[in-house]
Amino acid sequence: MASTIASRRLFHEYKLLTSSPPDGITAGPVSEDDIFLWEALIQGPDGTPFEGGIFPAELKFPKDYPLNPPTMRFLGEVWHPNVYPSGLVCISILHAPGDDPHHYEKASERWSPIQSVEKILISVMSMLAEPNDESPANIEAAKMWRERRGEFEKTVRDGVRRSLGM
Amino acid sequence: MPDQQQTLSVPSLLLLAAFAALTIRYFFFAKPSTSSPPTNPRAANPADVEQIATMFPQIGRREIIWDLQRNGGSVNATTERILGRGSLDPPPPSFQPVIPAGVTPSTANTTPGQMKSEHIDLITRYNLGSRLSSPPSTPPESSGASGSQQAQSWSNNKNERQALLKRRREDMILGARRKLEEKERTRLQQDG
Repeated sequence: MASTIASRRLFHEYKLLTSSPPDGITAGPVSEDDIFLWEALIQGPDGTPFEGGIFPAELKFPKDYPLNPPTMRFLGEVWHPNVYPSGLVCISILHAPGDDPHHYEKASERWSPIQSVEKILISVMSMLAEPNDESPANIEAAKMWRERRGEFEKTVRDGVRRSLGM
Repeated sequence: MPDQQQTLSVPSLLLLAAFAALTIRYFFFAKPSTSSPPTNPRAANPADVEQIATMFPQIGRREIIWDLQRNGGSVNATTERILGRGSLDPPPPSFQPVIPAGVTPSTANTTPGQMKSEHIDLITRYNLGSRLSSPPSTPPESSGASGSQQAQSWSNNKNERQALLKRRREDMILGARRKLEEKERTRLQQDG
């Protein structure tokens, strides 16, 4: 029962995202046989070291979506303070209202059924542009971003080139 | 009474003969396919295995063969699975296929999180190598910043939708790659 609601909602979001996709975002189920597993491509925001890059990520939705948020994991390398070395993305919109381990997130920033896949992807895009120093998921990257910005930007740019096969 | 026994023994004789025939057939002609009843005994085509292994060097051949055997030898299905999930199910330890000679079985003792150090690039991941050198398929709006205006459409046909989505992904990646190439060229020209 819950999972039919979830799949209907996901299908609806897929349709919206396809008919009017936000700039620099392509997203949809890997295969419609499993609407709970999506793949998204996010373009690196202009004016940041991520500019020009395309970052693939997978989104896994729980069966009780939209009550609970999906998890999002980058499939390629993303050197960023808020992305775990495994690719897992750590931002407030992906956290369920109940679990705020650090108590610094406002409830309005966290997941709720009025959010959407589109909002997640847009949030992640702006996260690329502006790392949140308060909740580092990749300590090394966070340290580099804070203390050696030039090196951080070069590392990111090199990653972008590599990811495009150059 | 004896009459009845007589008539009974004809069918039972026939039955015995049939059973004997089956037994003989079983022992003499059914040697190869008796040992592995649960898995599909159909062996994966080595060429298919190679093809997938070249596309995804991070996936072990054992995993590829296992997956191919389970899906009936469909390269597409296995490729889709790798693209979708980044990995394949690990085969049971008892599964020890013959791996083509000259190839080290890349068992690559990688724990799922660890293998991130050697990412495959997008061109390889989405199998776009062949489309790199060819000119953009939609010339009028290929290099413009707003290349996505036309492509955005929803189809009521499931397969069409899937194809459209794939197309949008590929265009996005190829567009980024071309832009980067262009940038590189102008930088080289300025330098030299």
